[in-house]
Amino acid sequence: MRGPDLHTIRRRVSGRLLILLCLPMLFACGRGDAETDLVFAVGGAPSELAAWEKVVRKFEADSGISVRLLRQPANSQQQLQGLMVAMKSKQQNPDVFLMDVAWVGLFSAAGWLVPLDNLDRTPFFGELLNRTDVYDGRLMAAPVYLDGGILYYRTDLLEKAGMTRPPETWRELAESAKKVQEQMRPENPGFFGFVWQGAQYEGLVVNFLEFAGASGGIQLQDETGGVRVALKANLKALRFMRDLIWEYEISPPSTYTEMQEEEVRTFFQSGNAMYERNWPYAWTLHQSDGSPVKGKVGIAPLPAPEGEKGVSTLGGYHIGVSKYSDRKADAKKFAAYVTSKEAQRMVVLELGWNPGRGDLYEDEALLERYPHFGEFKDIFRKARPRPVIPYYIQVSNVLQTYISGALARNRSPESALEHAQIEIDSLEQRYGRNPEGGGGQLSESFPYPSFTHGEAVP
Amino acid sequence: MTSLAGLIDRLEDAVAHRTPLEKEHVQAVFFLFPLMFFIVGFILMPVLGTLYDAFMRDVIFLEKEFIFFTNFRYLFSDPGFWNAVRFTLLFVLISVPLELAIGLMIALVMNETIPMRGLLRACVLIPWAIPAAVSGRVFELIYNYSYGAANWLLRVLHITTEPVNWLGSEIGAFIAVVAADAWKTTPFAAIILLAGLSAISEDLYNQARIDRAGFMTRFFKITLPLLKPVLVVTLLFRTIQALRVFDVIYVLTGGGPGGATEAVSNFAYKYFTAGDFGYGSAASVLLFVIALLLSLFYVKASRFGEA
Repeated sequence: MRGPDLHTIRRRVSGRLLILLCLPMLFACGRGDAETDLVFAVGGAPSELAAWEKVVRKFEADSGISVRLLRQPANSQQQLQGLMVAMKSKQQNPDVFLMDVAWVGLFSAAGWLVPLDNLDRTPFFGELLNRTDVYDGRLMAAPVYLDGGILYYRTDLLEKAGMTRPPETWRELAESAKKVQEQMRPENPGFFGFVWQGAQYEGLVVNFLEFAGASGGIQLQDETGGVRVALKANLKALRFMRDLIWEYEISPPSTYTEMQEEEVRTFFQSGNAMYERNWPYAWTLHQSDGSPVKGKVGIAPLPAPEGEKGVSTLGGYHIGVSKYSDRKADAKKFAAYVTSKEAQRMVVLELGWNPGRGDLYEDEALLERYPHFGEFKDIFRKARPRPVIPYYIQVSNVLQTYISGALARNRSPESALEHAQIEIDSLEQRYGRNPEGGGGQLSESFPYPSFTHGEAVP
Repeated sequence: MTSLAGLIDRLEDAVAHRTPLEKEHVQAVFFLFPLMFFIVGFILMPVLGTLYDAFMRDVIFLEKEFIFFTNFRYLFSDPGFWNAVRFTLLFVLISVPLELAIGLMIALVMNETIPMRGLLRACVLIPWAIPAAVSGRVFELIYNYSYGAANWLLRVLHITTEPVNWLGSEIGAFIAVVAADAWKTTPFAAIILLAGLSAISEDLYNQARIDRAGFMTRFFKITLPLLKPVLVVTLLFRTIQALRVFDVIYVLTGGGPGGATEAVSNFAYKYFTAGDFGYGSAASVLLFVIALLLSLFYVKASRFGEA
């Protein structure tokens, strides 16, 4: 009466259906990835893509290797995510890519980069290269664009403040900003003296490192390479940042809620601020036609406390070759071309961004077109990189949270730095920098002398 | 290819020579297959993968290794994690009842025969149809310090001269996030509750009116008790959704100021994007456990009421 057992039928039919459905997928998997071009992942700005197009065409004509440009998102966090997914799944593409200088340590430690032994190190800023791109003695990446924080000022307002040169100390900055702000307020109630990047994101850490470096801080790493935040110099910096908003009231309250690069740039460019901390990219935009501040902007190194030197945090993008690339030799050849004088000059002329090679800052043709490069050179050469450690992004996340909390006055600067230090210590332990530190146990007491109970280690 | 054709032949054969019941079973498998494929491929596998990862040291710059509960042990002593848990629970506690209360009010209005009811129902649904990332951005433009609509309104109405930094304090940012979320998800609650309301027989109300029961009495003695099962389902849905809140916060406050509005999902995401998949997975697993416990509690509590 009964045919074969229902279960067997069901199992058999569903098994076959499974095969049927999977067949097209197998075909799809078999194909794909058979890319013949070298794939180069670049940034997402429209002008950037056009500039690279030129470089790539020239390279193709010279070498006979065809290259496809892969556009990355404009947002740097999303760029990182995209690259990370590609690397983690060991994809053959992109073969070669641009990465933020802050990720070079992570990518090197993850073993995702092929050493660029074919590159000549001499045309680059030597110390900069050693501190960011050299990992275990080998060159893992090379700078394509350089960036460093600079101070933009309004030349016309400087006169109003009775000054003949841009401020060199924090005091000069705060006093002149306050003075001009009071004069400007009646006609422009939204005017502020000084704008900088204070929102809870990577830019906040960049700005903090500049304030901290200027107060004699150690840019986070001590001589053993450990990350140290709970330091007197950092406290001085954080207090000053908070005072800019709440005590001197020369930075808008929205500093810690909204101010990222573009917010700061547009704020200054619409004529609502006297000083601005930003990357060099803002220069060409401030001086473009239709900009209300055109011809009224000057640039200077960032100020510092009395007797100290201003410090810029190093930014920019570096080129690297993927370990999973199926065309490593061609990719290395391409990386060498991208960092060559010819290609770099092409990119700079097209974009106006700052080249990674040091020798181009003395290039007559470029200096004629971009006279401000002369001033940038010194700033970049002395710019301090963020710690080149694989867990830098985690450290930055912790710092962002606590610094933002201090700026919002949710907690005191002392408590912010002490708590950040505790979390960073825990991170270092978890990532094995300090495995015997507490045997995996978190220490209850502050690992470093607390501010309130004695002197912090300088 | 012949084997493929043969396979299809045999398949058809198998379907053709069965009793009706068996045929139905075969068909059922056929129709269920896409769903099963979807559930296994896109839900079960990622969930199991996350669970597996939570017990691994899966950091991109370290050797992958099985480390038992180490991720969880670090999580339990991580103030950032507890801060995220505290915020998430508080967010659920405030936003879900608020959304349910307003949603119920809207549902009651929409349930009456009023002019242009169809249009009204469609309008109410608009916020729910807008992606959370977009509505988060809209609210960001409302709260914006320099050019936001809220500060513009204050200035035009001469309430204040100084603009208010809405997202600048812990409490302000919290209220802003709750408001943005309530705006978006209240319609969801309203529509489900409306379906529940329309299932309640009009006769009951008519009888109550004969007994001279007032509006309030009718609401508390008829509507609310009969709506309870639907209310519990809505509460359950909304609680689970609210627990995994991510996009509104990511766009609106980015977790700030000072991590005051960082939800557990945002916390986990932060570690995923930093290349620590094990730690992020462990946080996600704990979020899942919290959601499970709360759901069990709701289900138990509602049955308890019926008994």
